[in-house]
Amino acid sequence: MKSKVKVSVIIITFFMGLLLALQVRVVQYNASPLPYSRAQELTKELNQLEEECKLLRAEARDLKAKLTQAQKGYAQAESALKSELEKVKTQAGLNPVTGPGVKVVLKNIPLGDNEEYRSLFSVRDEDILKVVNELRAAGAEAISINGQRLMPTSEIRLAGSFINVNLVRILPPYEILAFGNPETMANALSIAGGLVEYLQDWGVQVTVEKMQELTVPAYSGNLEFKYAVPVKEGE
Amino acid sequence: MWIGIWLAVIGLLLGVVLGLNIPVILPQIYAKYMGLAILAALDSVIGGIRAMQEEKFDNTIFLSGFFVNALLAAGLAFVGEKLAVDLYLAAVVAFGVRLFQNLATIRRYIFGKK
Repeated sequence: MKSKVKVSVIIITFFMGLLLALQVRVVQYNASPLPYSRAQELTKELNQLEEECKLLRAEARDLKAKLTQAQKGYAQAESALKSELEKVKTQAGLNPVTGPGVKVVLKNIPLGDNEEYRSLFSVRDEDILKVVNELRAAGAEAISINGQRLMPTSEIRLAGSFINVNLVRILPPYEILAFGNPETMANALSIAGGLVEYLQDWGVQVTVEKMQELTVPAYSGNLEFKYAVPVKEGE
Repeated sequence: MWIGIWLAVIGLLLGVVLGLNIPVILPQIYAKYMGLAILAALDSVIGGIRAMQEEKFDNTIFLSGFFVNALLAAGLAFVGEKLAVDLYLAAVVAFGVRLFQNLATIRRYIFGKK
């Protein structure tokens, strides 16, 4: 064997051994399923994600608390709105109401069949209007005439030989119910030289009764504004 | 012949001792290329033995084949990685097949000469 060949055999086997040993070491060292650097990377990433997770959890808690508060606030607002609506409806006459007040009954005196007398001495729409006006002046909060609730839009008007309230024909005897302080209202009507006397002078039977418990039905008609539009604030 | 075997054993031992004591560890990413280089080197060595038995041994071809094959195999695998093609597998198959063919030829020589 030539010396040249010996040298190359030495060199090559040396390199073979070196490479083999290195490779074995690398494979052994990295026997774990993941390469070292990758594991480190993943650990870092895991830490980051955990941190992020913590932050997000805190945020979620915060938002949940806010949500509960908002819901609470919503419920409160809703109940406030409901009670407000109820109040407004009552004031507008869309709810039946009950309470103390006076009952005023206007009756035609029996006049037989005399047509002329009847038209002269029967209760007129003006009489009812006067009573209503007086009651309101005495602080009536809600008024009904023969079961017709008086609304801001209600009319009391002679239509032919009948009186219409809320476009409904009402017949005598006219029973006017008014809520308020019974004493005040009764006194306002029955005062000497007052409305009761005046009506009696005109041949109308008037009785004023103080009541501790009255009930007035709600307005049953259609209440829709076609022309009036509420003005928005700031316009 | 026996001197050659002894020289081979000595060289191998030296290399292994040095390799085990070098304080450097290659990153895992290069282990693939290294393995491929080892496969190529092994192929060269086996090819060299076969050439010796066929008495066609050329020292230059032996030496250059060893290093160039190893580097080429690793480089090819690297290029394959960049191109997302598993050229690595091609090298493994090519060297592996040649390795076994050479081994078979050597075996035949050994038993045939008896």
